[in-house]
Amino acid sequence: MAEAVAIILCVDDEPNSLILRKLVLQKAGYEVVTASSAAQALDLLGSQKVDLVLSDQLMPGQTGTQLAQQIKTNWPKLPVILISGVNEIPPDASFADLFMSKVEGPQAMCQKISDVLKAR
Amino acid sequence: MNAHDKVNILMVDDQPAKLLSYEAILGELGENLIKALSGREALEILLKTDVAVVLMDVSMPEMDGFEMAEIIRQHPRFQKTAIIFISAVHLTELDRLKGYQRGAVDYISVPVVPEVLRAKVSVFAELHRKRRELEALNRDLEARVLERTEELQESETQFRTLANSIPQLAWMANPAGDVFWYNQRWYDYTGTTLEEVQGSGWHKLHHPEHVTRVLQGLEHSWRTGASWEDTFPLRRHDGEYCWFLSRAVPISDSHGKITRWFGTCTDISRQMAAEEALRKNERLAAMGRVAGIIAHEINNPLEAITNAFYLLESHPSLDEEARALARMASEELARISHITRQSLSFYRESQQAVPVSVATVLDDVLELQARHFRISGVELDKAYKSNRMILAYPAELKQVFLNLVGNALQAMPAGGKLRVTVRETSERGQLPRGIRVSVCDTGSGISPQDAKRLFEPFFTTKSVKGTGLGLWISKGIVQKYDGTIKFRSLKLTGGSATCFCVFIPGAMAVQPPGTLAMAKVM
Repeated sequence: MAEAVAIILCVDDEPNSLILRKLVLQKAGYEVVTASSAAQALDLLGSQKVDLVLSDQLMPGQTGTQLAQQIKTNWPKLPVILISGVNEIPPDASFADLFMSKVEGPQAMCQKISDVLKAR
Repeated sequence: MNAHDKVNILMVDDQPAKLLSYEAILGELGENLIKALSGREALEILLKTDVAVVLMDVSMPEMDGFEMAEIIRQHPRFQKTAIIFISAVHLTELDRLKGYQRGAVDYISVPVVPEVLRAKVSVFAELHRKRRELEALNRDLEARVLERTEELQESETQFRTLANSIPQLAWMANPAGDVFWYNQRWYDYTGTTLEEVQGSGWHKLHHPEHVTRVLQGLEHSWRTGASWEDTFPLRRHDGEYCWFLSRAVPISDSHGKITRWFGTCTDISRQMAAEEALRKNERLAAMGRVAGIIAHEINNPLEAITNAFYLLESHPSLDEEARALARMASEELARISHITRQSLSFYRESQQAVPVSVATVLDDVLELQARHFRISGVELDKAYKSNRMILAYPAELKQVFLNLVGNALQAMPAGGKLRVTVRETSERGQLPRGIRVSVCDTGSGISPQDAKRLFEPFFTTKSVKGTGLGLWISKGIVQKYDGTIKFRSLKLTGGSATCFCVFIPGAMAVQPPGTLAMAKVM
């Protein structure tokens, strides 16, 4: 691979969801780092190179949109995709580059990540 | 006229000396004394003056006292005027006097005894004064009665005007509860006449389920005099019932005795419908919240399982048979995902309306119902004559069409034909133009009774399966877009045809391909 493998920071408070999503992304060829909260994700971003953040929306503590807002404040060029189990788009969703449903399936998810990375 | 006013005493004699002597005798009575030297002069005075007593000499030249009395009596005004004759007593004259006994007539024989004359004149003067007082009192009373009558008539007119101008139905009943009057609005609303509804004729306008309670309440009030209030449906001229808030109060006379009952009925069907709609909205909002929670609780594990099977499908440790099983599981999970996205997402999926292709939304709906088409053996006929976009919330449109298509399919359990048409049109040839979608089935049809209530909340013809909210919600959604939803159901030989038409105004000029895909985030 001529280009370096993209690193994705995957954020979710539910361990099973987080591990399985990580495996799907690894299978798609990405390098994956994980965080189980927005706070942990922000810590990691301070010490580690990341190409894209894929975060759950509803988490204890800060929500995905709040995380996206902070990321865009500190790293304006870092793409953020929010993935949600709820069917309603939160009013501050625009901080993220994309807002998608969890039930669109793994292939659709990987496709969207790829699109966002290419558009970067 | 009061008790101290002087009265006129007319003295008639052809001899001035006699007049002077009467004057001297009667002077101390303090009344007005008028002298006349002849019957003619006396008549002239009588015509001009209100005379209490005429004192008259019987024997006068020209016209004697009796003749003059005769003339006086013929005049209606003087029939009650007192006359005292002064005469030497002859038998013949006494007989003539008797002829006047009915009137106020007396006589004094000569020679005149002053005390007797004074006493007699005084009695008549007093009598006259009293009569004048009574007459004045009577006139006054008559004037007052007239005034009062006018007041009452005016008051009655005002009452009728008021009673007919108020938006309420109004009525009056006697103390026993027999209704004897209704205002015009009552007749307009009920389409009845007084003959039909007076007394207890109004009972038949009440709903059978309520009439007993209403009557019990009213009878209690007739008995106790307590004011009455109730809420009940009342039949309109076209047979429909509307809800009324009704009140009745007793009207009492100055002694506290109830003379009549006055009642009003206020149409509260709108308030009731609004309250009902509010309750339904709250219920729907609650349902929406529940749907959101369920969606979240299902979607999270669903994603995890989907991902797990996705990984298993190509897992190197599994043999081909196991991977095939994982693929089957994935396919079935995809169906669940589809369902949760379709059915648990009846909410606004974006903050703003987005350009939506009605045809695409319809295709989504038809795809979702594909299994039902197959099971029921319903043939689908699509005629999309427009691909224009409208600004809308896709989930809302989906809900409307899912409802119409679902209803149509349920009306055709043994097969049939469903025709879905999309065309650009304008409502009654007026702007704005818009999109018209019709969903027509060859199912069981809609009975005229059901047709009236079709868009009411919780009205359902499906005994078990329906919530009765579908068309009501659909209508609400369409109205939000300033659109209309209508239907026709025709009985044909060998079946019936039912067609629902949704018109949504404001078609966009072009169809930008891909816009919807970008706006659709799920």
